[in-house]
Amino acid sequence: MKILSMSGFVPEQICDTVRFTGFDGGERLSHYCGYAADFISQVREDGSIDGAVFPKSCDSSRSIGSYIDDTGKFIYSMPVPAVRNAESVSYFADILKDYKSKIEKHYGVTISEDDVKARDAVITARNAKIAAAYGKLNVLSYASYIHEVHASLNAPYEFDESRIVNGNDGKPVFLIGSFLAGVELADCIENAGLKVVADNMPESGRLASRAGFVSSETDVYKKIASEILCTRPSPTQDLFDETIKSNLEEIRNKGCKGVIFATQKYCEPYDYLFSVYKKALDEQGIPALRVQMADSTDGNGKAAALEAFADII
Amino acid sequence: MPDSYLVHVAGAMRSYYKDFSKYAKGREPSQKVAWVTSFTPIEILDALDIEYIYPESYAAVIAASGLEQPLLEESTRQFLSCDCCSYSCCFEGCVETGKGPRGVPPKPDVLIATNNQCNTLPGWWNILAKRYNVPLIVLDYPGEFTENPIARAYVEKQHKDFVAKMEELSGNRLDENELAKRIENSIGSVAAWKRVCACLKDREVPPTLLFDNINFLITARCKEETALIYNLMADEMETYPECDKSLTPLFWIGYPLWYHKDRYLTEVMDGFRVCGSNYITWWNLDYEGNSVWDKLFSAYNNTFLNLSQKTKTERLSDIIAASGAKCAVTCRNKSCKCDYVSAKNVGIPQAELEVDMIDREYLDVERAGKLMAILKETVN
Repeated sequence: MKILSMSGFVPEQICDTVRFTGFDGGERLSHYCGYAADFISQVREDGSIDGAVFPKSCDSSRSIGSYIDDTGKFIYSMPVPAVRNAESVSYFADILKDYKSKIEKHYGVTISEDDVKARDAVITARNAKIAAAYGKLNVLSYASYIHEVHASLNAPYEFDESRIVNGNDGKPVFLIGSFLAGVELADCIENAGLKVVADNMPESGRLASRAGFVSSETDVYKKIASEILCTRPSPTQDLFDETIKSNLEEIRNKGCKGVIFATQKYCEPYDYLFSVYKKALDEQGIPALRVQMADSTDGNGKAAALEAFADII
Repeated sequence: MPDSYLVHVAGAMRSYYKDFSKYAKGREPSQKVAWVTSFTPIEILDALDIEYIYPESYAAVIAASGLEQPLLEESTRQFLSCDCCSYSCCFEGCVETGKGPRGVPPKPDVLIATNNQCNTLPGWWNILAKRYNVPLIVLDYPGEFTENPIARAYVEKQHKDFVAKMEELSGNRLDENELAKRIENSIGSVAAWKRVCACLKDREVPPTLLFDNINFLITARCKEETALIYNLMADEMETYPECDKSLTPLFWIGYPLWYHKDRYLTEVMDGFRVCGSNYITWWNLDYEGNSVWDKLFSAYNNTFLNLSQKTKTERLSDIIAASGAKCAVTCRNKSCKCDYVSAKNVGIPQAELEVDMIDREYLDVERAGKLMAILKETVN
């Protein structure tokens, strides 16, 4: 079983998946997120991948299935709730069970509740370690940290803080955006004399927020569902106000001098968020830089903009 | 003198626009106002006497009036990326500047977004919620991506919660009989609209007429007069002369081009006639089931763009086959990532045109003409 997964909405507790981080693929679709297009490419072109799981959470991801439904591979489009409440948690728990049963049927395996609980313990421990390191970003190199985070998204889900080097001093900034597939961007930020001390990235700040989440659910699927849905939200959960308020608080608390908004081109959830986020930052007198990446391998080429931004702040 | 649909169209238009600033002239609406997306279960709102306004439709009206360019430019000054849906950019420019052919819509008391056509709309509605500081309700429709019983229970609960919130807003109690009546009206509107659509295949019917008049199925499908309008329209169209069968029948896949005087590219379509369109079928909602809740679930969870690719391909192929089309124009719409891929595997030659439904500057007419010439050669 080698299922390629996309997004923090896909639970790591059901079975091992290969977290999509980047692929230099041949699919190029006009006005379509390059990151999602590269995911499609890997599913189509990488013979070692035998399945794909992705959320129905944005316009690009909701149509991924249309581009890969002829591959004969295991395909699961996960309808992630667009709202957050008790009903959506129960519903999402049902979706997770459905996902599990579809895997069992396709691969001829059995996944017991104890298996899920055991995996949940591993993931919870990993998230706690990420959260601990996240709290030390004023010291650690963000580039080194994010490499370690990405490595820990695949089995055996180990996160080792001792492998992260300390960073140089730099002007403290906050980073927000979609999954940092082009990890070279983190190096570019540091090379420009900036230091990411906090973020709202799906694989970092959002994942770290799950470590502190206490669920009252006794059912393991509901526990996982509530952890995914009720911690720091994605812009696809339609909670812009909450996102902006909590980010501004963290920006103030950690003394950030500016915000880097790093997203994929044609990523409409972040495009809409940016329009109100930028206004909120302007009201607070916080400078912002927007960098857009063409696809999952585009992390370079932003040096000039980042250096200019470092000069401004 | 026979009753003409045009008389009823004028009345319906007056009713819809009565509270827009150009006509209201400072008068406050008498009802609570909801801004809704185009696949919102408006039967609930109508039964509770809440007025509903469609920003997407108004963006289309703005473009049809030739006023979209300065408003699109204004939206970029509001930090809205021009990669976003042009409906949202155009409308954002309108509400920011207060400029529009009928002024601006009455301010919302509540914003209601659904994700049964795309995921863009809830994002757009979030920025409207920030602008107006009013409650945002997102109705989440899993579509065909979820096993039916799971989705049914989830959607029904949301619909019932939605009713409770709207009762509180309006101060009215929902009478289920009134809701059932609205649903029956919608069913009647869909049936009458299908009669209208059927005329496109064989009669000398300008597609423009259908692209423009589907407006009532979108904005007023649960009103009693909508079925009346469409039945009168169909009565009239059924008397139109037969279409020129020497022209190549072509299916239009994608949105109308609202800025275009004909809503489609007549200037590059010599030798073709439009015999069908998928856009004009999108609101042919299927209110299946016994209870009002089953009917609402069926209609709003299973909208065309919320179906699996397999079902979309089957449905689109059936519609195309019924139209008699020998080829298609497929719009790669800059504003819609979800629609284009619907046309996968429909089995007839297609010309793929890069367009936007609002932004006229996005189209390269010369290139479109070349692609249509290639299509003509392929078909003939």
